[in-house]
Amino acid sequence: MQKRNKYTEIEDFLSDESFQSWILFKIDEDGWEEWTLENRQRAKLVEDARLLLLAMKVPDSTLSASDIHSALQNTWIKIEEKENLNDSVEDSKVKFFKKYFIRGVAAALVFGLASVWFYENHFGPESKVVTYKELIDENSEGLVEQTNNSDKPQIITLSDGSSVLLQPNSKLSYPKIFTGNERKVYLSGEGFFEISKNPKKPFFVYANEIVTKVVGTSFRVKAYSDQPDVEVLVRTGKVKVRSNDLVAKSDQEEVVLLPNQALRFVRSELSFNKITNITQDQALTRNVGNIEQLSFEFTDIPVSQIFETIEQAYLVDIDYPKNKLKDCHLTTSLSDQPLTEKLKIVCNSIGNNTSFEMNGNQIIITSEGCN
Amino acid sequence: MNTKTLQFKTFDDITLWNNLKDGNEKSFSILFEKYYGDLVNYGNSLSPYAEKVQDCVQDVFTDIWVYRNGLQSSVVVKAYLLSSVRKRIARLHERDHIFRKATSTDSIAFLLEFSVEHELIDDDYATKEKVVHLNKLLNDLPARQKEALYLRYHQGLTVEQIADMLDVNYQSASNLLHRGLLTLRKEWKGSISLIILLSSTAC
Repeated sequence: MQKRNKYTEIEDFLSDESFQSWILFKIDEDGWEEWTLENRQRAKLVEDARLLLLAMKVPDSTLSASDIHSALQNTWIKIEEKENLNDSVEDSKVKFFKKYFIRGVAAALVFGLASVWFYENHFGPESKVVTYKELIDENSEGLVEQTNNSDKPQIITLSDGSSVLLQPNSKLSYPKIFTGNERKVYLSGEGFFEISKNPKKPFFVYANEIVTKVVGTSFRVKAYSDQPDVEVLVRTGKVKVRSNDLVAKSDQEEVVLLPNQALRFVRSELSFNKITNITQDQALTRNVGNIEQLSFEFTDIPVSQIFETIEQAYLVDIDYPKNKLKDCHLTTSLSDQPLTEKLKIVCNSIGNNTSFEMNGNQIIITSEGCN
Repeated sequence: MNTKTLQFKTFDDITLWNNLKDGNEKSFSILFEKYYGDLVNYGNSLSPYAEKVQDCVQDVFTDIWVYRNGLQSSVVVKAYLLSSVRKRIARLHERDHIFRKATSTDSIAFLLEFSVEHELIDDDYATKEKVVHLNKLLNDLPARQKEALYLRYHQGLTVEQIADMLDVNYQSASNLLHRGLLTLRKEWKGSISLIILLSSTAC
Protein backbone atom coordinates (compact mmCIF):
# COMPACT_ATOMS: atom_id res chain seq x y z
CA MET A 1 0.00 0.00 0.00
CA GLN A 2 3.08 2.25 -0.13
CA LYS A 3 2.45 3.08 -3.76
CA ARG A 4 -0.58 5.22 -2.98
CA ASN A 5 1.62 7.80 -1.31
CA LYS A 6 2.88 8.63 -4.78
CA TYR A 7 -0.55 9.06 -6.34
CA THR A 8 -0.92 12.47 -7.95
CA GLU A 9 -3.74 11.99 -10.43
CA ILE A 10 -7.36 10.95 -10.18
CA GLU A 11 -6.54 8.16 -12.63
CA ASP A 12 -4.17 6.59 -10.11
CA PHE A 13 -7.00 6.17 -7.68
CA LEU A 14 -9.60 5.07 -10.19
CA SER A 15 -7.53 2.09 -11.27
CA ASP A 16 -6.65 1.02 -7.73
CA GLU A 17 -8.73 -2.04 -6.86
CA SER A 18 -8.48 -1.50 -3.14
CA PHE A 19 -9.68 2.06 -3.59
CA GLN A 20 -12.55 0.88 -5.78
CA SER A 21 -13.69 -1.62 -3.22
CA TRP A 22 -13.59 1.05 -0.51
CA ILE A 23 -15.82 3.37 -2.51
CA LEU A 24 -18.14 0.89 -4.18
CA PHE A 25 -18.41 -1.86 -1.59
CA LYS A 26 -17.45 0.09 1.52
CA ILE A 27 -14.76 -2.43 2.30
CA ASP A 28 -11.86 -0.45 3.68
CA GLU A 29 -9.17 -3.08 4.13
CA ASP A 30 -6.24 -0.75 3.74
CA GLY A 31 -7.31 2.12 5.96
CA TRP A 32 -8.18 4.52 3.14
CA GLU A 33 -10.32 6.67 5.37
CA GLU A 34 -7.53 7.41 7.80
CA TRP A 35 -4.96 7.82 5.04
CA THR A 36 -7.17 10.31 3.25
CA LEU A 37 -7.54 12.50 6.30
CA GLU A 38 -3.79 12.79 6.79
CA ASN A 39 -3.44 15.44 4.14
CA ARG A 40 -5.80 18.03 2.73
CA GLN A 41 -4.44 18.03 -0.80
CA ARG A 42 -4.87 14.30 -0.82
CA ALA A 43 -8.42 14.51 0.52
CA LYS A 44 -9.38 16.64 -2.43
CA LEU A 45 -8.00 14.20 -4.98
CA VAL A 46 -9.67 11.31 -3.23
CA GLU A 47 -13.01 13.06 -3.19
CA ASP A 48 -12.78 13.86 -6.91
CA ALA A 49 -11.97 10.25 -7.69
CA ARG A 50 -14.79 9.09 -5.47
CA LEU A 51 -17.41 11.23 -7.16
CA LEU A 52 -16.22 10.09 -10.56
CA LEU A 53 -16.49 6.45 -9.57
CA LEU A 54 -19.98 7.04 -8.22
CA ALA A 55 -21.02 8.60 -11.52
CA MET A 56 -19.65 5.70 -13.57
CA LYS A 57 -21.79 2.82 -12.42
CA VAL A 58 -22.34 0.00 -14.89
CA PRO A 59 -25.27 -2.39 -14.63
CA ASP A 60 -24.65 -5.49 -12.57
CA SER A 61 -24.79 -8.83 -14.25
CA THR A 62 -28.36 -10.01 -14.44
CA LEU A 63 -27.34 -13.63 -14.88
CA SER A 64 -28.03 -16.00 -12.01
CA ALA A 65 -25.77 -18.89 -11.09
CA SER A 66 -28.14 -21.27 -12.82
CA ASP A 67 -28.15 -19.13 -16.00
CA ILE A 68 -24.39 -19.40 -16.08
CA HIS A 69 -24.55 -23.09 -15.35
CA SER A 70 -26.89 -23.76 -18.25
CA ALA A 71 -24.76 -21.55 -20.50
CA LEU A 72 -21.82 -23.74 -19.60
CA GLN A 73 -23.75 -26.91 -20.43
CA ASN A 74 -24.80 -25.37 -23.69
CA THR A 75 -21.18 -24.58 -24.46
CA TRP A 76 -20.16 -28.19 -23.87
CA ILE A 77 -22.82 -29.24 -26.35
CA LYS A 78 -21.47 -26.73 -28.87
CA ILE A 79 -17.99 -28.09 -28.27
CA GLU A 80 -19.16 -31.63 -28.85
CA GLU A 81 -20.86 -30.64 -32.09
CA LYS A 82 -17.81 -28.77 -33.29
CA GLU A 83 -15.47 -31.61 -32.39
CA ASN A 84 -17.68 -34.11 -34.19
CA LEU A 85 -17.75 -31.83 -37.21
CA ASN A 86 -13.95 -31.52 -37.23
CA ASP A 87 -13.63 -35.28 -36.80
CA SER A 88 -15.86 -36.04 -39.72
CA VAL A 89 -13.88 -33.68 -41.95
CA GLU A 90 -10.75 -35.59 -40.99
CA ASP A 91 -12.52 -38.89 -41.44
CA SER A 92 -13.34 -38.14 -45.01
CA LYS A 93 -9.73 -37.27 -45.73
CA VAL A 94 -8.64 -40.57 -44.25
CA LYS A 95 -11.22 -42.45 -46.30
CA PHE A 96 -9.96 -40.87 -49.49
CA PHE A 97 -6.47 -42.00 -48.68
CA LYS A 98 -7.60 -45.44 -47.60
CA LYS A 99 -9.49 -46.05 -50.80
CA TYR A 100 -6.32 -46.02 -52.82
CA PHE A 101 -4.07 -47.56 -50.25
CA ILE A 102 -6.38 -50.41 -49.47
CA ARG A 103 -6.54 -51.74 -53.02
CA GLY A 104 -2.84 -52.46 -52.82
CA VAL A 105 -2.90 -54.40 -49.65
CA ALA A 106 -6.34 -55.96 -49.92
CA ALA A 107 -5.15 -59.11 -51.56
CA ALA A 108 -2.51 -59.71 -48.95
CA LEU A 109 -5.06 -59.29 -46.20
CA VAL A 110 -7.69 -61.66 -47.46
CA PHE A 111 -5.96 -64.73 -46.22
CA GLY A 112 -5.13 -63.21 -42.88
CA LEU A 113 -8.65 -62.02 -42.25
CA ALA A 114 -10.12 -65.33 -43.22
CA SER A 115 -8.04 -67.15 -40.66
CA VAL A 116 -8.89 -64.63 -37.94
CA TRP A 117 -12.56 -65.06 -38.76
CA PHE A 118 -12.24 -68.80 -38.54
CA TYR A 119 -10.50 -68.56 -35.18
CA GLU A 120 -12.96 -66.09 -33.71
CA ASN A 121 -15.94 -68.15 -34.67
CA HIS A 122 -14.66 -71.51 -33.65
CA PHE A 123 -12.47 -70.86 -30.68
CA GLY A 124 -13.70 -67.48 -29.44
CA PRO A 125 -15.36 -66.87 -26.08
CA GLU A 126 -18.56 -68.83 -25.66
CA SER A 127 -20.69 -66.13 -24.14
CA LYS A 128 -20.44 -62.42 -24.61
CA VAL A 129 -21.74 -61.54 -21.19
CA VAL A 130 -19.07 -60.40 -18.80
CA THR A 131 -19.55 -60.58 -15.09
CA TYR A 132 -17.90 -58.87 -12.18
CA LYS A 133 -16.10 -62.09 -11.26
CA GLU A 134 -14.47 -62.40 -14.67
CA LEU A 135 -13.36 -58.80 -14.53
CA ILE A 136 -11.76 -59.25 -11.14
CA ASP A 137 -10.05 -62.46 -12.21
CA GLU A 138 -8.57 -60.61 -15.16
CA ASN A 139 -7.06 -57.99 -12.92
CA SER A 140 -6.46 -59.52 -9.56
CA GLU A 141 -3.37 -57.56 -8.54
CA GLY A 142 -3.97 -56.63 -4.93
CA LEU A 143 -7.54 -55.36 -5.07
CA VAL A 144 -9.57 -54.52 -2.00
CA GLU A 145 -13.21 -55.54 -2.20
CA GLN A 146 -15.99 -53.80 -0.33
CA THR A 147 -19.49 -55.25 -0.28
CA ASN A 148 -22.55 -53.42 0.91
CA ASN A 149 -24.92 -55.94 2.46
CA SER A 150 -26.78 -53.35 4.52
CA ASP A 151 -29.95 -51.62 3.43
CA LYS A 152 -28.38 -48.16 3.24
CA PRO A 153 -25.84 -46.71 0.82
CA GLN A 154 -22.24 -46.82 2.03
CA ILE A 155 -19.53 -44.28 1.44
CA ILE A 156 -16.11 -45.40 0.22
CA THR A 157 -13.19 -43.02 -0.05
CA LEU A 158 -10.47 -44.05 -2.50
CA SER A 159 -6.77 -43.30 -2.19
CA ASP A 160 -6.97 -40.41 -4.66
CA GLY A 161 -9.71 -38.66 -2.66
CA SER A 162 -12.54 -39.75 -4.95
CA SER A 163 -15.69 -40.93 -3.26
CA VAL A 164 -18.12 -43.66 -4.17
CA LEU A 165 -21.55 -44.01 -2.66
CA LEU A 166 -22.15 -47.74 -2.93
CA GLN A 167 -25.78 -48.84 -3.00
CA PRO A 168 -27.12 -51.91 -1.13
CA ASN A 169 -26.34 -55.31 -2.68
CA SER A 170 -23.39 -53.87 -4.55
CA LYS A 171 -19.68 -54.55 -4.60
CA LEU A 172 -16.68 -52.43 -5.50
CA SER A 173 -13.14 -53.66 -6.02
CA TYR A 174 -10.32 -51.16 -6.06
CA PRO A 175 -6.60 -51.01 -5.38
CA LYS A 176 -5.61 -49.79 -1.94
CA ILE A 177 -3.42 -47.22 -3.63
CA PHE A 178 -3.68 -46.24 -7.29
CA THR A 179 -0.40 -46.73 -9.09
CA GLY A 180 0.55 -46.27 -12.72
CA ASN A 181 -1.09 -43.96 -15.21
CA GLU A 182 -4.65 -45.16 -14.77
CA ARG A 183 -7.13 -45.50 -11.98
CA LYS A 184 -9.29 -48.60 -12.40
CA VAL A 185 -12.12 -49.87 -10.24
CA TYR A 186 -14.62 -52.69 -10.74
CA LEU A 187 -18.27 -52.43 -9.88
CA SER A 188 -21.07 -54.88 -9.49
CA GLY A 189 -24.40 -53.25 -8.66
CA GLU A 190 -24.86 -49.53 -8.36
CA GLY A 191 -22.66 -46.66 -7.26
CA PHE A 192 -22.53 -42.89 -7.46
CA PHE A 193 -19.01 -41.72 -8.26
CA GLU A 194 -17.42 -38.36 -7.55
CA ILE A 195 -13.98 -38.41 -9.03
CA SER A 196 -11.15 -36.11 -8.03
CA LYS A 197 -9.70 -34.35 -11.05
CA ASN A 198 -6.50 -35.66 -12.50
CA PRO A 199 -6.17 -35.41 -16.28
CA LYS A 200 -2.90 -37.32 -16.19
CA LYS A 201 -4.55 -40.33 -14.56
CA PRO A 202 -7.92 -41.06 -16.12
CA PHE A 203 -10.39 -42.98 -14.01
CA PHE A 204 -12.06 -46.15 -15.36
CA VAL A 205 -15.09 -47.91 -13.97
CA TYR A 206 -15.42 -51.45 -15.27
CA ALA A 207 -18.96 -52.69 -14.90
CA ASN A 208 -20.24 -55.78 -16.67
CA GLU A 209 -19.58 -55.28 -20.37
CA ILE A 210 -18.89 -51.55 -20.33
CA VAL A 211 -16.05 -49.29 -19.38
CA THR A 212 -16.68 -45.70 -18.29
CA LYS A 213 -13.79 -43.28 -18.57
CA VAL A 214 -13.52 -39.92 -16.86
CA VAL A 215 -10.92 -37.50 -15.63
CA GLY A 216 -13.01 -35.90 -12.92
CA THR A 217 -16.74 -35.61 -12.61
CA SER A 218 -19.72 -37.20 -10.94
CA PHE A 219 -21.92 -39.90 -12.36
CA ARG A 220 -23.86 -43.03 -11.50
CA VAL A 221 -23.25 -46.51 -12.82
CA LYS A 222 -25.82 -49.25 -12.38
CA ALA A 223 -24.63 -52.69 -13.38
CA TYR A 224 -26.26 -55.59 -11.55
CA SER A 225 -25.12 -58.88 -12.99
CA ASP A 226 -28.67 -60.24 -12.99
CA GLN A 227 -30.23 -57.33 -14.86
CA PRO A 228 -30.50 -57.03 -18.63
CA ASP A 229 -29.16 -53.46 -18.87
CA VAL A 230 -26.22 -51.45 -17.66
CA GLU A 231 -26.87 -47.77 -17.03
CA VAL A 232 -24.62 -44.75 -16.75
CA LEU A 233 -26.01 -41.36 -15.78
CA VAL A 234 -23.89 -38.22 -15.69
CA ARG A 235 -24.37 -35.38 -13.23
CA THR A 236 -21.40 -33.11 -13.88
CA GLY A 237 -18.47 -33.05 -16.27
CA LYS A 238 -18.12 -35.35 -19.23
CA VAL A 239 -17.59 -39.09 -19.44
CA LYS A 240 -16.84 -41.53 -22.23
CA VAL A 241 -18.31 -45.00 -22.31
CA ARG A 242 -17.20 -47.90 -24.45
CA SER A 243 -17.70 -51.62 -24.30
CA ASN A 244 -15.15 -53.81 -22.61
CA ASP A 245 -12.42 -55.30 -24.83
CA LEU A 246 -13.57 -58.70 -23.66
CA VAL A 247 -16.77 -58.36 -25.68
CA ALA A 248 -16.15 -55.69 -28.24
CA LYS A 249 -15.04 -55.80 -31.80
CA SER A 250 -11.96 -53.72 -32.55
CA ASP A 251 -13.83 -50.79 -34.09
CA GLN A 252 -15.85 -50.25 -30.97
CA GLU A 253 -17.74 -47.06 -30.60
CA GLU A 254 -17.17 -44.66 -27.78
CA VAL A 255 -20.15 -42.70 -26.50
CA VAL A 256 -19.66 -39.28 -24.97
CA LEU A 257 -22.05 -38.28 -22.21
CA LEU A 258 -22.61 -34.77 -20.93
CA PRO A 259 -24.37 -33.70 -17.72
CA ASN A 260 -27.89 -35.05 -17.37
CA GLN A 261 -27.40 -37.45 -20.22
CA ALA A 262 -27.54 -41.15 -19.71
CA LEU A 263 -26.80 -44.32 -21.53
CA ARG A 264 -28.35 -47.75 -21.42
CA PHE A 265 -26.36 -50.70 -22.62
CA VAL A 266 -28.49 -53.64 -23.66
CA ARG A 267 -26.40 -56.61 -22.66
CA SER A 268 -27.97 -59.19 -24.89
CA GLU A 269 -27.46 -57.08 -28.01
CA LEU A 270 -24.25 -55.35 -26.97
CA SER A 271 -25.79 -52.09 -28.10
CA PHE A 272 -25.71 -48.59 -26.66
CA ASN A 273 -28.77 -46.38 -26.33
CA LYS A 274 -27.97 -42.80 -25.54
CA ILE A 275 -30.68 -40.97 -23.58
CA THR A 276 -30.40 -37.22 -23.92
CA ASN A 277 -33.52 -36.33 -22.04
CA ILE A 278 -33.41 -38.23 -18.78
CA THR A 279 -36.59 -36.70 -17.45
CA GLN A 280 -38.55 -38.66 -20.01
CA ASP A 281 -37.07 -41.95 -18.98
CA GLN A 282 -39.08 -43.25 -16.06
CA ALA A 283 -36.76 -46.07 -15.16
CA LEU A 284 -33.87 -43.65 -14.74
CA THR A 285 -35.61 -40.92 -12.80
CA ARG A 286 -37.41 -43.28 -10.46
CA ASN A 287 -34.31 -44.23 -8.56
CA VAL A 288 -32.41 -40.99 -8.43
CA GLY A 289 -30.57 -40.98 -5.12
CA ASN A 290 -30.48 -38.31 -2.47
CA ILE A 291 -27.07 -37.09 -3.47
CA GLU A 292 -28.13 -36.37 -7.02
CA GLN A 293 -31.05 -34.23 -5.96
CA LEU A 294 -29.29 -32.09 -3.40
CA SER A 295 -27.74 -28.81 -4.42
CA PHE A 296 -24.24 -28.08 -3.26
CA GLU A 297 -24.26 -24.43 -4.29
CA PHE A 298 -24.31 -22.41 -1.09
CA THR A 299 -24.73 -18.66 -0.85
CA ASP A 300 -24.37 -17.24 2.61
CA ILE A 301 -25.68 -20.40 4.25
CA PRO A 302 -25.14 -21.38 7.91
CA VAL A 303 -22.42 -24.01 8.27
CA SER A 304 -24.81 -26.24 10.21
CA GLN A 305 -27.07 -26.44 7.17
CA ILE A 306 -24.16 -27.28 4.88
CA PHE A 307 -23.17 -30.14 7.21
CA GLU A 308 -26.75 -31.35 7.23
CA THR A 309 -26.80 -31.45 3.43
CA ILE A 310 -23.57 -33.45 3.40
CA GLU A 311 -24.99 -35.83 6.03
CA GLN A 312 -28.05 -36.47 3.91
CA ALA A 313 -26.12 -36.91 0.70
CA TYR A 314 -23.51 -39.36 1.94
CA LEU A 315 -25.41 -40.86 4.86
CA VAL A 316 -22.67 -39.95 7.28
CA ASP A 317 -22.75 -38.45 10.78
CA ILE A 318 -20.98 -35.18 11.26
CA ASP A 319 -20.04 -34.10 14.74
CA TYR A 320 -19.06 -30.44 15.07
CA PRO A 321 -18.87 -27.78 17.79
CA LYS A 322 -22.36 -26.38 17.31
CA ASN A 323 -21.94 -23.37 19.58
CA LYS A 324 -18.65 -22.24 18.15
CA LEU A 325 -19.93 -22.45 14.60
CA LYS A 326 -23.44 -21.14 15.12
CA ASP A 327 -22.79 -17.74 13.53
CA CYS A 328 -20.73 -18.95 10.61
CA HIS A 329 -22.05 -18.55 7.10
CA LEU A 330 -20.36 -19.65 3.91
CA THR A 331 -20.65 -18.94 0.24
CA THR A 332 -19.16 -21.78 -1.72
CA SER A 333 -19.70 -24.25 -4.51
CA LEU A 334 -19.17 -27.88 -3.55
CA SER A 335 -20.73 -29.54 -6.57
CA ASP A 336 -18.53 -31.93 -8.45
CA GLN A 337 -16.26 -32.47 -5.44
CA PRO A 338 -15.73 -35.79 -3.70
CA LEU A 339 -16.67 -36.01 -0.02
CA THR A 340 -13.20 -35.43 1.41
CA GLU A 341 -12.71 -32.49 -0.94
CA LYS A 342 -16.02 -30.99 0.20
CA LEU A 343 -15.00 -31.31 3.84
CA LYS A 344 -11.59 -29.82 3.12
CA ILE A 345 -13.12 -26.80 1.41
CA VAL A 346 -15.62 -26.19 4.19
CA CYS A 347 -12.92 -26.49 6.87
CA ASN A 348 -10.54 -24.19 5.03
CA SER A 349 -13.17 -21.56 4.58
CA ILE A 350 -14.22 -21.65 8.21
CA GLY A 351 -10.56 -21.12 9.03
CA ASN A 352 -9.21 -20.92 12.61
CA ASN A 353 -7.50 -24.31 12.59
CA THR A 354 -10.61 -26.14 11.55
CA SER A 355 -9.95 -29.73 10.59
CA PHE A 356 -11.81 -32.96 10.08
CA GLU A 357 -11.28 -36.61 10.82
CA MET A 358 -13.07 -39.42 9.07
CA ASN A 359 -13.71 -42.84 10.46
CA GLY A 360 -16.03 -44.93 8.33
CA ASN A 361 -19.22 -42.95 8.22
CA GLN A 362 -18.34 -40.88 11.31
CA ILE A 363 -16.89 -37.46 10.68
CA ILE A 364 -15.56 -35.28 13.46
CA ILE A 365 -14.92 -31.58 12.89
CA THR A 366 -12.70 -29.66 15.29
CA SER A 367 -12.89 -25.89 15.18
CA GLU A 368 -12.43 -22.76 17.22
CA GLY A 369 -15.17 -20.91 15.35
CA CYS A 370 -14.91 -18.88 12.17
CA ASN A 371 -12.86 -15.80 11.39
CA MET B 1 -22.27 -12.41 10.25
CA ASN B 2 -19.27 -14.08 8.77
CA THR B 3 -19.32 -14.55 5.08
CA LYS B 4 -16.40 -15.81 3.12
CA THR B 5 -16.11 -16.33 -0.55
CA LEU B 6 -13.77 -19.07 -1.39
CA GLN B 7 -14.88 -20.26 -4.73
CA PHE B 8 -12.42 -18.83 -7.20
CA LYS B 9 -9.61 -17.49 -5.13
CA THR B 10 -7.67 -20.72 -4.91
CA PHE B 11 -6.49 -20.68 -8.52
CA ASP B 12 -5.07 -17.83 -10.50
CA ASP B 13 -6.06 -17.29 -14.09
CA ILE B 14 -2.84 -18.30 -15.72
CA THR B 15 -2.68 -21.63 -13.87
CA LEU B 16 -6.27 -22.35 -14.93
CA TRP B 17 -5.46 -21.29 -18.48
CA ASN B 18 -2.50 -23.63 -18.75
CA ASN B 19 -4.45 -26.50 -17.18
CA LEU B 20 -7.16 -25.83 -19.72
CA LYS B 21 -4.57 -26.05 -22.49
CA ASP B 22 -3.65 -29.48 -21.14
CA GLY B 23 -7.26 -30.58 -21.46
CA ASN B 24 -8.46 -29.98 -17.91
CA GLU B 25 -12.23 -29.56 -18.11
CA LYS B 26 -12.60 -28.31 -14.55
CA SER B 27 -10.29 -25.38 -15.22
CA PHE B 28 -12.28 -24.56 -18.31
CA SER B 29 -15.48 -24.57 -16.29
CA ILE B 30 -14.02 -22.41 -13.55
CA LEU B 31 -12.85 -19.79 -16.04
CA PHE B 32 -16.18 -19.94 -17.77
CA GLU B 33 -18.13 -19.40 -14.57
CA LYS B 34 -15.76 -16.69 -13.45
CA TYR B 35 -15.95 -14.54 -16.58
CA TYR B 36 -19.17 -15.42 -18.36
CA GLY B 37 -21.31 -12.76 -16.64
CA ASP B 38 -18.73 -10.04 -17.18
CA LEU B 39 -18.26 -10.90 -20.83
CA VAL B 40 -22.00 -10.95 -21.49
CA ASN B 41 -22.25 -7.53 -19.85
CA TYR B 42 -19.49 -6.18 -22.03
CA GLY B 43 -20.99 -7.79 -25.11
CA ASN B 44 -24.34 -6.21 -24.34
CA SER B 45 -22.71 -2.82 -24.35
CA LEU B 46 -21.60 -3.46 -27.93
CA SER B 47 -24.73 -5.01 -29.36
CA PRO B 48 -28.41 -4.52 -28.67
CA TYR B 49 -29.17 -8.19 -29.39
CA ALA B 50 -28.85 -9.84 -25.98
CA GLU B 51 -29.62 -13.30 -27.32
CA LYS B 52 -26.82 -13.16 -29.88
CA VAL B 53 -24.36 -11.81 -27.37
CA GLN B 54 -24.68 -14.90 -25.19
CA ASP B 55 -24.21 -17.01 -28.27
CA CYS B 56 -21.06 -15.11 -29.17
CA VAL B 57 -19.58 -15.50 -25.71
CA GLN B 58 -20.30 -19.23 -25.75
CA ASP B 59 -18.72 -19.51 -29.19
CA VAL B 60 -15.60 -17.80 -27.89
CA PHE B 61 -15.33 -20.42 -25.16
CA THR B 62 -16.13 -23.23 -27.59
CA ASP B 63 -13.24 -22.20 -29.82
CA ILE B 64 -10.90 -21.87 -26.86
CA TRP B 65 -11.59 -25.48 -25.91
CA VAL B 66 -11.64 -26.96 -29.40
CA TYR B 67 -8.46 -25.18 -30.46
CA ARG B 68 -6.80 -25.26 -27.05
CA ASN B 69 -3.62 -26.79 -28.44
CA GLY B 70 -2.91 -23.64 -30.40
CA LEU B 71 -3.41 -21.22 -27.51
CA GLN B 72 -0.54 -19.11 -26.28
CA SER B 73 0.57 -19.91 -22.78
CA SER B 74 1.35 -16.41 -21.58
CA VAL B 75 -1.73 -14.28 -21.93
CA VAL B 76 -3.70 -12.00 -19.67
CA VAL B 77 -6.77 -14.18 -19.63
CA LYS B 78 -9.32 -11.48 -19.00
CA ALA B 79 -7.95 -9.17 -21.70
CA TYR B 80 -7.84 -12.07 -24.14
CA LEU B 81 -11.46 -13.00 -23.43
CA LEU B 82 -12.77 -9.43 -23.67
CA SER B 83 -10.91 -8.89 -26.90
CA SER B 84 -12.19 -12.18 -28.38
CA VAL B 85 -15.76 -11.24 -27.52
CA ARG B 86 -15.30 -7.84 -29.15
CA LYS B 87 -13.92 -9.35 -32.36
CA ARG B 88 -16.65 -11.92 -32.47
CA ILE B 89 -19.39 -9.33 -32.14
CA ALA B 90 -17.71 -7.16 -34.78
CA ARG B 91 -17.70 -10.14 -37.13
CA LEU B 92 -21.33 -10.82 -36.40
CA HIS B 93 -22.16 -7.24 -37.29
CA GLU B 94 -20.28 -7.59 -40.54
CA ARG B 95 -22.31 -10.61 -41.48
CA ASP B 96 -25.64 -9.21 -40.47
CA HIS B 97 -27.47 -7.30 -43.14
CA ILE B 98 -28.77 -4.82 -40.66
CA PHE B 99 -25.22 -3.73 -40.13
CA ARG B 100 -24.20 -3.63 -43.73
CA LYS B 101 -22.70 -0.18 -43.37
CA ALA B 102 -20.64 -1.03 -40.36
CA THR B 103 -17.77 -3.17 -41.53
CA SER B 104 -14.76 -2.81 -39.27
CA THR B 105 -14.01 -3.38 -35.63
CA ASP B 106 -13.75 0.38 -35.18
CA SER B 107 -17.27 1.00 -36.15
CA ILE B 108 -19.03 -1.02 -33.51
CA ALA B 109 -20.25 1.49 -31.02
CA PHE B 110 -20.11 1.29 -27.28
CA LEU B 111 -23.72 1.66 -26.25
CA LEU B 112 -23.49 1.45 -22.51
CA GLU B 113 -24.84 4.32 -20.43
CA PHE B 114 -23.11 4.89 -17.11
CA SER B 115 -25.49 5.33 -14.24
CA VAL B 116 -25.27 6.86 -10.78
CA GLU B 117 -24.62 4.83 -7.62
CA HIS B 118 -27.48 6.43 -5.76
CA GLU B 119 -27.46 4.12 -2.77
CA LEU B 120 -23.83 4.86 -2.08
CA ILE B 121 -24.11 8.62 -1.89
CA ASP B 122 -24.75 9.48 1.70
CA ASP B 123 -23.59 13.07 1.26
CA ASP B 124 -25.49 16.30 1.12
CA TYR B 125 -27.72 17.39 -1.71
CA ALA B 126 -25.04 19.45 -3.47
CA THR B 127 -22.75 16.45 -3.80
CA LYS B 128 -25.55 14.37 -5.23
CA GLU B 129 -26.19 17.05 -7.80
CA LYS B 130 -22.51 17.02 -8.65
CA VAL B 131 -22.46 13.29 -9.25
CA VAL B 132 -25.53 13.48 -11.46
CA HIS B 133 -23.87 16.26 -13.44
CA LEU B 134 -20.65 14.25 -13.78
CA ASN B 135 -22.64 11.28 -14.93
CA LYS B 136 -24.19 13.32 -17.68
CA LEU B 137 -20.78 14.59 -18.79
CA LEU B 138 -19.47 11.03 -18.87
CA ASN B 139 -22.34 9.80 -20.97
CA ASP B 140 -21.86 12.65 -23.41
CA LEU B 141 -18.30 11.55 -24.19
CA PRO B 142 -17.65 9.92 -27.57
CA ALA B 143 -18.32 6.16 -27.55
CA ARG B 144 -14.65 5.20 -27.91
CA GLN B 145 -13.62 7.33 -24.95
CA LYS B 146 -16.37 5.78 -22.89
CA GLU B 147 -15.31 2.31 -23.89
CA ALA B 148 -11.70 3.05 -23.00
CA LEU B 149 -12.78 4.32 -19.58
CA TYR B 150 -14.94 1.25 -19.07
CA LEU B 151 -12.15 -1.14 -19.97
CA ARG B 152 -9.64 0.72 -17.83
CA TYR B 153 -11.66 1.24 -14.68
CA HIS B 154 -14.29 -1.47 -14.73
CA GLN B 155 -12.37 -4.31 -16.29
CA GLY B 156 -8.99 -3.24 -14.96
CA LEU B 157 -7.13 -3.53 -18.25
CA THR B 158 -3.84 -1.71 -18.75
CA VAL B 159 -3.40 0.99 -21.37
CA GLU B 160 -1.43 -1.47 -23.56
CA GLN B 161 -4.22 -4.03 -23.42
CA ILE B 162 -6.78 -1.40 -24.33
CA ALA B 163 -4.66 -0.24 -27.27
CA ASP B 164 -4.49 -3.84 -28.42
CA MET B 165 -8.20 -4.36 -28.14
CA LEU B 166 -9.27 -1.19 -29.86
CA ASP B 167 -6.61 -1.72 -32.49
CA VAL B 168 -4.81 1.59 -31.93
CA ASN B 169 -1.30 2.40 -30.72
CA TYR B 170 -0.39 3.03 -27.10
CA GLN B 171 -0.42 6.80 -27.41
CA SER B 172 -3.88 6.88 -28.96
CA ALA B 173 -5.31 4.65 -26.26
CA SER B 174 -3.71 6.78 -23.60
CA ASN B 175 -5.18 9.86 -25.30
CA LEU B 176 -8.61 8.31 -25.38
CA LEU B 177 -8.50 7.84 -21.64
CA HIS B 178 -6.89 11.14 -20.92
CA ARG B 179 -9.08 13.22 -23.15
CA GLY B 180 -12.14 11.73 -21.55
CA LEU B 181 -11.06 12.70 -18.08
CA LEU B 182 -9.69 16.04 -19.22
CA THR B 183 -13.02 17.13 -20.63
CA LEU B 184 -14.66 16.21 -17.39
CA ARG B 185 -12.16 17.98 -15.25
CA LYS B 186 -12.44 21.20 -17.21
CA GLU B 187 -16.17 21.21 -16.82
CA TRP B 188 -16.27 20.43 -13.19
CA LYS B 189 -13.05 21.59 -11.59
CA GLY B 190 -13.98 25.11 -10.59
CA SER B 191 -17.22 24.37 -8.90
CA ILE B 192 -16.35 21.15 -7.20
CA SER B 193 -13.17 22.24 -5.43
CA LEU B 194 -15.08 24.63 -3.29
CA ILE B 195 -17.35 21.94 -1.95
CA ILE B 196 -14.42 19.67 -1.20
CA LEU B 197 -12.66 22.40 0.70
CA LEU B 198 -15.71 23.07 2.80
CA SER B 199 -16.39 19.45 3.57
CA SER B 200 -12.79 18.67 4.45
CA THR B 201 -12.55 21.51 6.94
CA ALA B 202 -15.70 20.25 8.54
CA CYS B 203 -14.15 16.83 9.22
